[in-house]
Amino acid sequence: MNLRMVGCSHHQSNIAFRERLAFTPDQAANALSAWQQSHPGVEAVLLSTCNRTEFYAAAAGHSDAFTDNSLAEYLAGWHSIPLDEITQQLVSLDGQAVVEHLFRVAASLDSMVVGEPQILAQVKQAYELACELGSAGPHMHGCFQAALRVARRVTSETSLHRHRVSIPSVAIADFASRIFERFDDKRVLVIGAGEMADETLRYLRDAGAKRFTILNRDPGRAQALAAQWQAEAASWGDLHRQLVRADLVISTTAAGHPIVTLEYYRKQIADERNQRPLFILDLAMPRDFEPAIGEELGTYLYSIDDLAAACEQNRKSRQRELPRAERIIGEETSRFLTDARMQVSSPLITQLRAEWDVVKQAELARLLNKLGDLDQKSQEEITRFADRLVNKLLHPPLQSLRDEAENDSHTSLLDALRRLFQLRE
Amino acid sequence: MGNVSVLCFAASYTVALVLEIAGLWVRFGWHRLAMVVMAVAGLVAHSAYLVYHSVGSVAFLRTPELWYLVVAWVLAAFYLWVVFTSPKTAMGLFVLPLVLITIALAETASTEPFAQQRASQFWGALHGSLMTLSTVTVSVGFIAGLMYLIQSWRLKHKVPPSPEFQLPSLEWLERTNSRALSFSVVLVCGGFISGIVLSRLQHSGDSSYQLFGDPVVISLLLMLVWLIVAEVFRMIYPSARRGRKVAYLTLASFGFLALTLITFTMNDVHGRPREASAAQSQDPSAHFAPPSVASSESAADELHLVGRHKAEVLS
Repeated sequence: MNLRMVGCSHHQSNIAFRERLAFTPDQAANALSAWQQSHPGVEAVLLSTCNRTEFYAAAAGHSDAFTDNSLAEYLAGWHSIPLDEITQQLVSLDGQAVVEHLFRVAASLDSMVVGEPQILAQVKQAYELACELGSAGPHMHGCFQAALRVARRVTSETSLHRHRVSIPSVAIADFASRIFERFDDKRVLVIGAGEMADETLRYLRDAGAKRFTILNRDPGRAQALAAQWQAEAASWGDLHRQLVRADLVISTTAAGHPIVTLEYYRKQIADERNQRPLFILDLAMPRDFEPAIGEELGTYLYSIDDLAAACEQNRKSRQRELPRAERIIGEETSRFLTDARMQVSSPLITQLRAEWDVVKQAELARLLNKLGDLDQKSQEEITRFADRLVNKLLHPPLQSLRDEAENDSHTSLLDALRRLFQLRE
Repeated sequence: MGNVSVLCFAASYTVALVLEIAGLWVRFGWHRLAMVVMAVAGLVAHSAYLVYHSVGSVAFLRTPELWYLVVAWVLAAFYLWVVFTSPKTAMGLFVLPLVLITIALAETASTEPFAQQRASQFWGALHGSLMTLSTVTVSVGFIAGLMYLIQSWRLKHKVPPSPEFQLPSLEWLERTNSRALSFSVVLVCGGFISGIVLSRLQHSGDSSYQLFGDPVVISLLLMLVWLIVAEVFRMIYPSARRGRKVAYLTLASFGFLALTLITFTMNDVHGRPREASAAQSQDPSAHFAPPSVASSESAADELHLVGRHKAEVLS
C-alpha cells in the first residue's frame, strides 16, 4: 500500500498560513471530486479544521500516480497559491508515519489543546465526506476506521479527555454544571463582548443554554453579538434588572475598575435575588466584580486566576495520561501495519499454495499410475503423505512471512519469495 | 432463607462502603462492579431476611427491630437506584453509613411486638408505614442537605471536580432537599394522627393511660411541630426555599428524627398498655415476651410464688 499525507498544522504554521490552505466543506467536496477525476484509482481524504489542513492519499502497490510533490501542487493549485510559497511550511509523511500521525490526530494527541473532543468528529466528517463522494476506497476505509477505533480506545482507557484546559470549558463543564442541573431554562447575561465571552457562549450553547442577553456600553456591538447568538441586546442602564434576573453572568468588559462593587451588589442585587444561585464568570482584566462578592450567599464568582489553577491541574493530569495514550497509539499502529502486510501477502500465499498443489497433483497422478493396481487404503495413504510433505515444506517460508509482517523488511521477503518460486502477479 | 442473618447483609453493605471509601484514592477496573455486586447481594439477603421474618405474622412492621430493618432496606434500595441512575455520584459514602447505623439500631431495638389488637391492625400498619416512609424522607433530606453543604463549600473554594468524588449539582440537591422536607411534613403528620387513632382504639376506657406520658409521642410531636414551622418558614420567606437555608432546615429535621429514634429505641413500652409495661419493668424475665403472653406469664409466676409460699408456710 502506498500511503501519503501532505498538509500543515498549528505545529509548523501560523493561523494566516492555515487560513490560506483551509477548505470549507463545499470546497473540500469539490476538491475531492476533481481529484477523483484527475487521479482515478488513487483514494483521497481531505481533513480541514481551524488547526490543520491535511490531504491523505493511498493506492495499491507502489504507484507512481501520486507523489508528495503532486499532492502539494494539488493543494496549492486549488487555492491558486504558487507552490514555492507553501512548500517550506508543508509537512509530508508516508507509509507507517501517516498511519501513526492519523491515529494521533484522531485521538487528539496532536491537537492544540490535547484531549479536546471536537477533532474526532472532524476526522469522522472528513472520512464520511470522502465515502459519500467515493474517493475513499479499501485503504482509506482501513486507515480511518482504525483511527476512529483508536481514538475511542484512548478515550475509554485514559482520562485524557476528562481534564479540560481552556478557561471557558473549565468554567462551564467543571463549575457551572456543578451548580445547575440544566441550562436550557437559565438566563445567561453577557456583559461586554470579548473573545472569551464568545467562546464561553459557545460552550454554554453546547451545554443547552438558550436564553442569552448581551449588555454592552456600545449598543451597536451588543446588537451585533446578539444577532450572532440569537440573543437579546440590553442597554447599559438595564444592568441592575439584568443582574437580578440572570442565573449565569459572563463579564468581559475593558473597564479600568470594577463595574459591580460589593456594596452595590449587597444593597441592590442580593436582596432582590433572594439567594437564588448566581454563577459569575469574570473574565475581565482588571476584574469587573469585586472579589468579596463571591462570599455572598448563593453567589459563585470565578475569575481567570481561580480557573487557571484548575486548568493547570488538569494540564498536569493530562501529562500523566500522555504516556498511556502514546503506548496505545504505538500498539494500534503496529497491529494495523501487521494486518495490512498480511493482507498484502495473502494473495502470494494463495498463489504459492495453488502452484505447489498443481505440482503435487501431477506427481501423485504419475506415481499412482506407475504403481498400478493399489487398494483404496494405499492410495489414500500416499495422497496423505504428499499433502503432509507439501504442508511441511511450505510451513517455514510462510511462518517467516508472518513473522516479517511485523517489520518493514516484509516487502523484500515477498519479493524474494516471488523470485525464488517464480511467482507472477 | 432461614439461614440468612443480619450479619450477612450488614457485612455486604460494609464491604460496599469500604469499596466506596477506597475509591476516593484508588479505583480498579472491577471496582464499580464489585461495589454493585456487594450492594445487590446485601439487598437480596436483606429482603430474604425480612420476608422470612414477616411470613405468617399479623403485621409486617410488628416489632421495633423489623421496623428499623425495613427503614434500612428502603435506604439501601434508594442507594442502588442512585447507583444505576447516576453511577458517577458518590452517594454510597452518605447513604451506606446511614443504612449500617439503622441496622445497628435494629440490633439494639426490642424484638417484642408493638401492642396491637386485631381491631387496630389497619391503623397499626398505617402508622408503622407512615413512620417508616417519613424516616426515609427525612434521612434522604439530611443526606441531600449534607451533600449540598459539601458541594457548595467545594464550589466556593474553587475546588476542581474529582472523578473519585462526584456529587450532584446544587440545583438537584436543593430540589431533593425541598421535596424531602415537604413529604416529611405530610408523612410525619399522617403518622402522628394515625398513632393517636391507634392509641385511642387500644386504650379506650383506660383512664390510667396518658398519651403524652409516652416519650416517643412527645419527641414525635416535637419533630412534627419543627417540620411544620420549617415548612411554613419556607413558604413565607423566599430565601429559605434556596440553597444553604433549606439544607440547614433538613439537617435540623434529622436532629429531631434522631431524637425521636433514640427515645423509640430506649423505650420498649411505646404503644403498650400501662399494666403490661409496668409488669415488664418489674419483672426483667418477662421484658422480652409479647405483652399478652408477658401478662399471663406474670400472673402465672405470681400464682406459682404464692403456691410456693403457701407450701413453705405449711411445711
